[in-house]
Amino acid sequence: MIYYITAILLILIGMYAVLTKKNIIKIVIGLSIVDSGVNLLLISIGYIKNGTAPIFSVKGLTPDKMVDPVPQALVLTAIVIGLGVTAVALSLVIRLYDHHKTLNIDKIRKLKW
Amino acid sequence: MNFSPVHFIAVPLFAAFLIPIVGRFSKEAVKLIPGLVLLYLSYVAISLYPIALQKPIVEIIAGFKPPFGISLYFGPLAAFLVTMVMLIGLVIWLYSYKFIIREPLEKYYMLFMLVIAGATGIMITGDIFNMFVFLEITSIAAYSLTAFLRDKDGAEAAFKYLLIGSFSSTFYLLAVMLIYANTGTLNIADIAAKMQTVPNQPKIFIMILFLVGFGIESELFPLNGWAPDAYSQAPSPIGGVFGGIVVKASTYAMMRFAFVLFNFHSMFELILVLGVITMLIAEMSAMRQQQIKRMLAFSSIGQMGLIMIAFGVGTDASVRAALFQVFNHAVIKTLLFLAAGYLVFHSGSKKISALDGLGHNKPITSFFFALGALAIIGLPPFSGFWSKLYILTSVAKGGFLASVVLILFSGIIEAIYYLRVVGRLYFKKDVSQDNVRRTPISGLVAMGILAVVILYVGLYPHQIIDLIKPAAHDLVDKAAYIKYGLLH
Repeated sequence: MIYYITAILLILIGMYAVLTKKNIIKIVIGLSIVDSGVNLLLISIGYIKNGTAPIFSVKGLTPDKMVDPVPQALVLTAIVIGLGVTAVALSLVIRLYDHHKTLNIDKIRKLKW
Repeated sequence: MNFSPVHFIAVPLFAAFLIPIVGRFSKEAVKLIPGLVLLYLSYVAISLYPIALQKPIVEIIAGFKPPFGISLYFGPLAAFLVTMVMLIGLVIWLYSYKFIIREPLEKYYMLFMLVIAGATGIMITGDIFNMFVFLEITSIAAYSLTAFLRDKDGAEAAFKYLLIGSFSSTFYLLAVMLIYANTGTLNIADIAAKMQTVPNQPKIFIMILFLVGFGIESELFPLNGWAPDAYSQAPSPIGGVFGGIVVKASTYAMMRFAFVLFNFHSMFELILVLGVITMLIAEMSAMRQQQIKRMLAFSSIGQMGLIMIAFGVGTDASVRAALFQVFNHAVIKTLLFLAAGYLVFHSGSKKISALDGLGHNKPITSFFFALGALAIIGLPPFSGFWSKLYILTSVAKGGFLASVVLILFSGIIEAIYYLRVVGRLYFKKDVSQDNVRRTPISGLVAMGILAVVILYVGLYPHQIIDLIKPAAHDLVDKAAYIKYGLLH
């Protein structure tokens, strides 16, 4: 239970940062905190207390002691994707800074809908 | 030859990573590779089409049978959409051939290939997590393409798109997680079979997460803030890619989930209401725009709203109408973006007021724009007329008379702002001084192909309807999807 609460707390902290911070680097950091929260949440779904890797040839290891490997595989992929998104975001931040000479998002907003 | 749906993902992905290497030796080859890839894939799509019509092709990857491994599901709907994407991609490539002259060419074509791979991946995958991966491939490539021109506004639009887009993928990932926690599987067909055992509370939660996740990418109100900026700041052919390919892929995903996973009525009503709001607000915003590409972007959002309304009615006939509109919107909006690209190029400004009298100076490009405008308004004999007519009749038959009135009302607004531009093109004095630069042949051929498709479908709508019927059936028929998807 504590894992779920922590992960959801992380997601909320990240969203708070994205929605309220003015510095675009802080916004990007918020995004990656959200990512970590989601990843932790995914991992904790497959987690069993005192569980171990699901290797069926090990003697005496019953399925109720095995950790679900699928969420871990998903999280590996999601981490890589999150890294890619963060890299693209930071490169855009560099370009925004080059053009505007500021990181304050209020001063950058020229386009509106 | 023995084709397989894997080619749709593998070949463009391979090409995307080949292009930077080839770019060290020859720039011409960089330009040619995407065309060859798309030509080949169009051929594959067309030759797989009849097989998919008989029985959906389910491709097993790495020997793990569904529901355990990732499988690709290439049914009539996927065949219809993938063929559409490949042909539109081909046209956009042809147009880009002379339009994108700015370096770095390799990056442009590489990202273009990645968008194609990702969007077709979304359309044919049978696994929700795999779909997440493709969604991310598509969106990361789309963010970068938005910032391709390296200008001030491009970076800002791309950053905005990235922020909203990462929220979309986060919500989608949360939905995937909840589904996995509740059903213990990631295969869409298997989930569909097990979905009725899931209690209602998490189901509604999952539904909302899905709706938000894909609503962002398919431009549903109020999640479409990224669209006008991204469309107008990206290079013009990329506007066509967004409207014709990226948005269509996520609309497909949303509809597949709506019909297969949550077959309960309130979801469809929600989609209908969101569609109506999206359409009205977008059309009114389009009316106020001073820049032509922003206007087209808002019109694109409005059309997506129309498509959502038709899907939201949820009957067989309305799904058919919606798919018809998906096809028409992809073709017509691409034509409009391609024509607008050269109009902006010739007038030297993105403003609508700078287009005065361009119809005399650049008759062919202006003609294509006018043709696209008339088609999207829904005048006969163009293809837009039929799909709008079908949407109206099916919505009326579904009993949503208020929506019919609103669709007609927004149709009037649409006619006003499009005809305003067309009127400026033809009935104002020529102010432009651009008599030297001509629209290249490749651009004209690309637009010509789309114009011919619009006219042909407008004159012989039954040919395309014959293809849409099995596609709509594939979408609505949940039992068949489960049966084929699990290889029973």
